[in-house]
Formats: sequence, structure tokens, C-alpha cells
Amino acid sequence: MEFTTRVSRRAVMAGMAAGFAASSIPAFGQSGQPPVRIGMGIALSGGLAAFGKSALLAMQIWAEDQNAKGGLLGRKVELVYYDDQSNPATVPGIYAKLIDVDKVDLVISGYATNQIVAAMPTVMQKKKVFLTLFGLAANDKFNYDRYFQMQPNGPDAQAEFSKGFLQTAMTMNPKPQTIALVGGDAEFPAIALAGARDNAKALGLKVVFDRTYPPNTIEFASVVRAMKATNPDIVFVASYPPDSAGMVRAVREVGLDTVKMFGGGMIGLQSAALKSQLGASLNGVVAYDLYAPESTMKFPGVEDFLVRYRKEADKQGVDPLGFYIAPLAYAELQILGQAVEATKSLDDAKLADYIKATAFKTIAGDIKFGKRGEWAEPRILWVQYQGVAGNDIAQFKEAGKQVILYPDTFKSGTLKYPFSAASK
Amino acid sequence: MTALSPSLSPPARRLPKPFSWPVLVAGLAIVAVEMTLGAQVSEYYLLLAYIILQYVVLSTGWNILGGYAGYVNFGTAGFFAVGCYTTIALEKLAAVPLPLAILAAGVVAGLIGLGTGYLTLRLRGVFFSIATLALAVVLQTLIVNWSFVGGSRGAYVMRPDAIAPFASYVQYLLVVMTVLAMVAVLAAIAIERSWIGMGLAAIRDDELAAEASGVPGLRLKLLATTLCGAFMGMAGAPFPYFITYVDPPSAFSLAIAVNAIAMPLIGGTATWWGPVLGAVLLGFTQQVLTVTISSAANLLIVGILLVVFVTVAPTGVVGITRAWRGRRA
Repeated sequence: MEFTTRVSRRAVMAGMAAGFAASSIPAFGQSGQPPVRIGMGIALSGGLAAFGKSALLAMQIWAEDQNAKGGLLGRKVELVYYDDQSNPATVPGIYAKLIDVDKVDLVISGYATNQIVAAMPTVMQKKKVFLTLFGLAANDKFNYDRYFQMQPNGPDAQAEFSKGFLQTAMTMNPKPQTIALVGGDAEFPAIALAGARDNAKALGLKVVFDRTYPPNTIEFASVVRAMKATNPDIVFVASYPPDSAGMVRAVREVGLDTVKMFGGGMIGLQSAALKSQLGASLNGVVAYDLYAPESTMKFPGVEDFLVRYRKEADKQGVDPLGFYIAPLAYAELQILGQAVEATKSLDDAKLADYIKATAFKTIAGDIKFGKRGEWAEPRILWVQYQGVAGNDIAQFKEAGKQVILYPDTFKSGTLKYPFSAASK
Repeated sequence: MTALSPSLSPPARRLPKPFSWPVLVAGLAIVAVEMTLGAQVSEYYLLLAYIILQYVVLSTGWNILGGYAGYVNFGTAGFFAVGCYTTIALEKLAAVPLPLAILAAGVVAGLIGLGTGYLTLRLRGVFFSIATLALAVVLQTLIVNWSFVGGSRGAYVMRPDAIAPFASYVQYLLVVMTVLAMVAVLAAIAIERSWIGMGLAAIRDDELAAEASGVPGLRLKLLATTLCGAFMGMAGAPFPYFITYVDPPSAFSLAIAVNAIAMPLIGGTATWWGPVLGAVLLGFTQQVLTVTISSAANLLIVGILLVVFVTVAPTGVVGITRAWRGRRA
């Protein structure tokens, strides 16, 4: 039996086109295997939503990138997420559903400490690897050996957090003698102030003002006036976003003429919203940060990521700069992805062992985990706002506006002081 | 005429018995189901049921004062947090079993309820409500500055291992909360069907007239504030084991205060089953929306539901049901 076929040139072209198209489909498209599902609860509404949405967008970009490369283990990557409404009470149920009902392959945490801790019993019971986003000493009590945390606090967050600020202050000439400590009555400020107290004592600084203010305080001028009356050389503030803005405004209103250095662990200043609101008022403030667009922090891939992030962030109305949480959220999934590919497995025990033993290359730099799943080497940045003009958000994308003072590895400029001179 | 009078007098009204055997049997049946199926079903469903039952206790407690007596309590989160922090304080002192911590939380929150009632005797309407709101603020300030229970840093409470015969600690928490819900509902029924409930209803309708008619207003209000506080505190006692880390914003959550009012309003405040129905309906809806729509829209839907009920059906599902029955009759 003989088959003869006459094939037209058009049919050949069509066939070739179909062939190219088919070959361009990632392998998972043809394998018919179920996707690798990564589950999380994340704040998409409520007080933490601004950071939650920013993190989620970064993770979605990673999933897109990974799928373009063929997914994980030849399977498409799918993110399964639920809005925890910034309410930790919703978290145990969400993680139980992700693991038991949705049968996700891997779980990661949402933002931030309270949400992570609320998920821990369920995650630990199921013995899942748990990469977490911005948990402040969240594993200290649990001591879970499959826990890995992305905020670069290092093994001793309390002591480490204010260390850079005070060491930078001690570079001033003459050295400061006195310090004022002020912060909110809440979890993070309490930890940051406790560490600052210990570090100040170790450096021989005299604490002349040590006060906290109640949560939801809206008027800070009285706090700043009381602090000013004690005539401190340096001022360390530990605050949450609304307080950080209030404190900067109050300082500008009252004036701190004799203070040499002002700033601290002021959460919120990292976000585009507060940068834009405060604008030139930020000049001279020394604040903690996790990423700044300085020449010393050009990790491979980060700039390309930020360009893509910003394009999408504009459409979604998410933090348009993406410096604070986004690179680390992307890096979190890079670590998980690299571990899956290296172990060729979704087995939680194997993944945990691999993550413990490996130094990862990510867009947020090299990351190696140490005790209790914290970064082996802390990398809290201390930046000083310099040369900020007006409230245009675009200026913060340029180098030189957030000069890195600490740590030395990433140092990109020098401290301007006293505070009144640096404010100009 | 005198011979005819007995036949003319209205027949004695048959009041339902204060103790409800059907509720007890239903509660025990639910416990039996939880004991049987608890190890086989996903933990997610156990946690979901726990949250709903927690709201059953909270809304039933709120309704004793807010529904029966008409005194709107905005301080639910404060009483709930007192329960949470009683457990945390006891946990720091000694390894106290959960049922004992719940009883202690009931006593502490009940005493605070009694104190609140005593201090706010002269306040009525919106002034009483503002006083309860202020109480929550005062309690939060105390907790924020009490370092023994974690203060502003919060406190970790490790969830213990499973206790025999329960397959997991979550199953144990669920059974405990079911029993608590059953006790709260039985108490609400007993109040509603006794002279206490009638006295509270009289106070709600017109306090001056009630007292002029011999209703012991002071004693009844104190009883209502005590029971209301005690049940809310007891609902909060197991919460630290549910969430494992409690800080003041979690314990004094606005969501708890809002839900405790919204649930009885949606269900209906006139009867014991109104708050139960409201808690089940709203609690279930919130939990389902969290994992279905899963965005800010779910809060919007709950808000719209509230506005609709408050404006269109102010007597809640109970009122709608009664109106429907009335039309059929």
C-alpha cells in the first residue's frame, strides 16, 4: 500500500508555524502534570495591605518569570493566596485550608510577625517548610527547624536593629554624649527601644529621655518638646507608619537645633506614600531601610525587576517604588524555587535541609540562613535622606537621595551633621 | 356574678420551661459529632466551626444586656481581651487546664461587668454605650502597660500537644467552645423564659415604668452586665491557644466588637435564637468570603449586609420570621 501526499507550500508554512508555536510552549504545557501550588495568606485589605499588595505583586512577577523558564520540576507554578484582612485571627483557618483542602505543595507566609506566628502551629503540625516575610524574632519561641525568615535582622534582632544607627552616630566628631529614646507602645518599637537602650549603655551614652507614647497617638509636638527640653545629642525613634510621619512633622514644627543626629527605626519612611508626603522634610533624617537605589546595591537582576514591578504597580495602585518589601518577596520565592530545582523535590525535609546548607544568589543579594532561620549575617541599612527637593516621588528612584551610611559593605556616602545643617 | 368570674378570667398563660432539653440534646449531639468526626475531617473545618461558635458565645452574651435589657455594649472587645489575658496570666503562673482558665476568665470578666454596671447605673442609652467604649480603652491601656502579660510586645502562648481522647488540640478547642456555646445559650434561654427576662424586657421598654411597677431594676441590670461580661470573657479565654500570639491590637480587635453587635442585630435581639442564627449566618459568610472572594470586597459585602438589615429589617431574621408567620396565620 502506498500513500502519496501532495503538500502545498502554504501547508508547509502553516505546519512550521505550528511547530514553532508548540516548541515555544513551556514544557509543563505539554506534560499535563498538575501545577506546583504555593499557598499563602496575605494582607490585601486592612492596615497591612499596602505592604501585602506590594509583596504579592513581586511574587506574581516571580511566578511569571519562573513559568516562562518552564516552571518548577517541569510543572507550572501557581500561587494560591487568600486575603488575611490584616487580621491574625483569620490566619490559622487560611493555612489549614491551604494545606488540607487546597492541598498546596508549599506554603509561605504573608506580611508580617503576627500573621506568621498565627500560622506557625498549623505549619509546624504539617511539618511544612516555611519561608516567611518580615517576622521579628517570630521563631524565637517555636524554634521550628524548617523556618526561614526574609528580613535581614540577623540572629539577634533586638541587639542588631539599632546597632548601625548608634555606630554611625559614634563616627561624629565630637562624639555624642547623650541620647533620647522615644517610641510607640507596641511590639516592634518595644523591641527596638530595648535594643537601643542596651547598645547605648555599651557605648557609654547617657540616656536623657526614655519615653513611649500610646498607640494611635496623633499629636507628637508635645512629645518632641519634652524630648527637646532634655537637650540630647542624638534622638532614636521607633515608630509605626502613622507615627513616623507625625514625628517627622512635629520635629519640623518644633525644631531640634541642638540635636546632632535624628532618626531611628521609623517604619513607613520606606514606602513611596510617606516619602511623597514628607518630601524635603526628610532631609537629614537617618532611617533604617532594606534597599536603596545606590551604586553599592546593584545586585544582579534587581534593577530589571524594579522596572517591571513599577510598570505593574502603577496599574494596580501599589507602592510605586517597591524598595521595601518587593525585592525580598521576590527573593523569597527565588530561594524556594532554587531549592526545589536543586533537590528536584517538593519534599519539605529535603527542602529545609538544602535551604539551611546553601548560600543563595537572589535579586536582594546573597542570602544565607543561620540560627532559628534568621539571616546568618544581618543587613539592616541605615540611610540618610539628602538633597530631597519637593515631594516628587520620582527623585527617590535616583541614587544620592538615600545615602547608605551603614553597613560599610554598602556604604555610599557620609553622614551630614548636625541635624539642623543636614536638614537643608 | 361572682360565680361566673372564674370562667371569665383568662386561662393561665403557659410559659415555656426555663430549661431547654432540646438545646442540651442538640449541643451534646454536636459534641458527639465533633468527637466522632474530628479526627477525620480537615482541621480547616474545625477552625471554621470554632470561630463561628466563639461568635455564638459573644453574641449571646452581648444579647443578654443589649437585646433583653436594651443596653448597647460597645465594650465587647474589652471583655473578650480580659478573658484572653486571664488565660495568659494564668499560663505564666502555672500550667492551668483550659476549662479552669475559662472559669477564671468568666469570674474576672464577670466582676468587671458587675463593676461597670455599678458605675454606670445612672447612665442610659447612648451615654451607657460610650461608657462601655471607654472601659475598653481603659482596659487596653492597662494591658499595654502590664509587662507581666506581655504589655505592648504581646505574649506567646504555645499550643499544647493533643490531649486524649482528642486527636488534636484544635479538636479539643472546638469541643470546649461548643460546650461553652451550649452553656451560654442555655443561660440565655433560662433568662428569657424566667421573671428575669420579663423584668429586663420591661426595663428595655420603659425603665421608669418598670421600676414603678416593682421590677428590681438595679439588681437585674447588675445581673445582666455581670453575665454579659462573664460570657464574653469566657469566649476570649481559649483565644490565645487558637492564635498562639496575642498582642493588644489582636485581643482588642475592632472586628470582635463590631461582629458581637452585628450578629444579634442581623439575627434578631428579641429571642435567644436570634444571636445564634446571626452568629452562624454572618460568621459562616465571613469565613467563606475570606477564602472565596478573598479581597477587600468581602468586608464590603459584610458591611452592605449590615446596612441592609439595620434599615430594612431592624428586628432581624427573628422579626422577618414572625412577620411571615403572622401573615400566614
